[in-house]
Amino acid sequence: MVEKLTVSSSPHVWSKNTTSKIMLDVVIALLPATIAAVYYFRLNAAILVALAVITAVVSEWGIQKIRNQKTTILDFSAVITGLLLALNIPASAPWWIAVVGSAFAIIVVKQLFGGIGQNFMNPALAARIFLTISWTDRMTAWIRPGVDAVSTATPLALIKGATEIPGNAPSIFNMIIGNTGGSMGETSAILLILGGLYLVYRRVMSPKVPVIYIGTVAILTLIFGGFDINFMLYHVFSGGLMIGAIYMATDYASSPVTARGKVIFALGCGILTTVIRFYGSYPEGVGFSIILMNIAAPLIEKYTSPRVFGEVKQSA
Amino acid sequence: MKFGRIFSRGVIFDNPVFVQLLGMCPTLAVTNSAENALGMGLATTSVLIGSNLVISLVKKLIPSKIRIPSYIVIIATFVTIIGMLMKAFLPDLDRALGIFIPLIVVNCLILARAESFASKQSGLPSIIDGIGMGVGFTVALVILGSVRELFGAGTIFGVTILGSFYEPARVMTLAPGAFLALGLLLALFNKITSKELNEL
Amino acid sequence: MRDMIKLGLVLLIICAISAFILGVTNDYTQGIIQARAHEENVAAIKVLLPEAEEFELVEDANVTGVTDIVEVYQGTKNGEVVGYTVKSNPQGYGGRVDILIGISIDGIITGAKVGDNTETPGLGTKIADAAFINQFLDKATTNEFQVTKDPQRENDIETVTGATVSSEAVARGINRSTQLFEEVLKNR
Repeated sequence: MVEKLTVSSSPHVWSKNTTSKIMLDVVIALLPATIAAVYYFRLNAAILVALAVITAVVSEWGIQKIRNQKTTILDFSAVITGLLLALNIPASAPWWIAVVGSAFAIIVVKQLFGGIGQNFMNPALAARIFLTISWTDRMTAWIRPGVDAVSTATPLALIKGATEIPGNAPSIFNMIIGNTGGSMGETSAILLILGGLYLVYRRVMSPKVPVIYIGTVAILTLIFGGFDINFMLYHVFSGGLMIGAIYMATDYASSPVTARGKVIFALGCGILTTVIRFYGSYPEGVGFSIILMNIAAPLIEKYTSPRVFGEVKQSA
Repeated sequence: MKFGRIFSRGVIFDNPVFVQLLGMCPTLAVTNSAENALGMGLATTSVLIGSNLVISLVKKLIPSKIRIPSYIVIIATFVTIIGMLMKAFLPDLDRALGIFIPLIVVNCLILARAESFASKQSGLPSIIDGIGMGVGFTVALVILGSVRELFGAGTIFGVTILGSFYEPARVMTLAPGAFLALGLLLALFNKITSKELNEL
Repeated sequence: MRDMIKLGLVLLIICAISAFILGVTNDYTQGIIQARAHEENVAAIKVLLPEAEEFELVEDANVTGVTDIVEVYQGTKNGEVVGYTVKSNPQGYGGRVDILIGISIDGIITGAKVGDNTETPGLGTKIADAAFINQFLDKATTNEFQVTKDPQRENDIETVTGATVSSEAVARGINRSTQLFEEVLKNR
């Protein structure tokens, strides 16, 4: 039943979209960034992507078999989780990182909480944080794009604690096209935006959440950086902001369904991301902030659900 | 027979951790290794036996209006004694368990047994109940601690189980790992016990 | 009213008995606990100042009142002062960080160790690794240590990646300790 419903508060508008169509669109939107990752990071990237996707699908099939449920692997949602997770790990990661992460995302975060539409956190992000806390070294061993795989710092690590861009940081142009260190999928901002535009065009998602999220980060970093436009652009185009804002903060199941709730959710993500980037112990805050706001989503929904016609506001 | 039942109820059917979900604070906080879990389990067990015995013996002397403060004083006395002895003779364990030793006072398992069992029974059954519940608590903690230590450090009681090929998932020894491991173990425990109930 | 007094008396008796038992236990364990703590302390600081054979707590008002300084031991050999160990606890990222250093009488850091701390596991806790903390070894106490990502000068200490605040805390603790040595301990 759940998979046939468009999840939103009333008024409901009938839509032709089915879960598998929506999910297929997301896969298509992620393809350019995936191809870029394979182009920049070569063979190991391809292996990691393949392993993550295969593990996700097999785990979903396996756990549903064990729990005697109808399998949902054909709706592509497991494929997306695997793909998103792969794009969230460094290209230098060993093969088992992709396998463990994918299995954790699907089995623990998604299926144990009831499967598609029921998970209260974004599975791929929760898995990324699980991996980061467990194997901090492996998950922060960024390498420079290319065949030689030289280890490097991410742009965010370079500017951590700084209020201006140091000389050894990569140029903004390189960051936009993805020629810099980072997780496989966070590097190429332009391709991620391209995929996002496709999703907006296909009406799979509204641009509201990503635009508000990225906008909040932009404004706050502009203020923190003393109105230095370059510094602001640096924060906007680096790290996991694009992939997080476009593909993870917009997750149907784990973000609020109400219109006002979405605005609050996106604002909260933006503020938390900036605060963690400036004051936190990790250089990147996108993952933590989206997960935190995921947890706050039911509360946000509770206070923003539209009043039923004729309902009297309850006195406090 | 009766004593056997009191005992087995504490260990399995009314297991404080897996069934009653009592004493979650130490359960989650100190089970980052099997050794810590065992230490906490034994410390709690000794307090439980002592407080159960004393409370069952003096239950007639304590007016019901002040029974809760009296129980707390008795429990706190045992906890403080255990704490001092551990500091003197097991300083390493004391350091590892830290604040959670004094916090045994507020472990609801102990007050629950005082209120629901020892205050109504005589000395011997109360001791048996204390041992049963204590063993149940200890076993549960050691299982949880072993699972977390195995995946979080590749060892159990400090002995390497998973060789150098295994890179420990550090999250398992941190707080989130406690919740993950406890949740999965609860599911497993329910699965096993529900099957037994179905067969009955 | 009578009831109240009776209840109070019962509670008083329970508390009195409990206090008596605790007193006896405390009497018995206190000596053991203190002896053990002293032994452990000496064993820990001996590593930092291997030259010394005996240690004595310094109870000088100029020393005990200094910010971030916890305790100072004077190390002697054949009755002669050979150095000091200083324990400091600067504010780190997740709480206070215990830092112990040994200083020889001629002003060289002979040992450095990070003790109890609550820094972020996997990042901040790396300040305890030899790769970081051993950077302070064999350096003169006249240095004002600074953490940086790109160490060049004698007093530069390479930051633990991703743990700037924790690294700075260690440097601050050590700077306070060396400053104490330069200003007070050396001239005693």
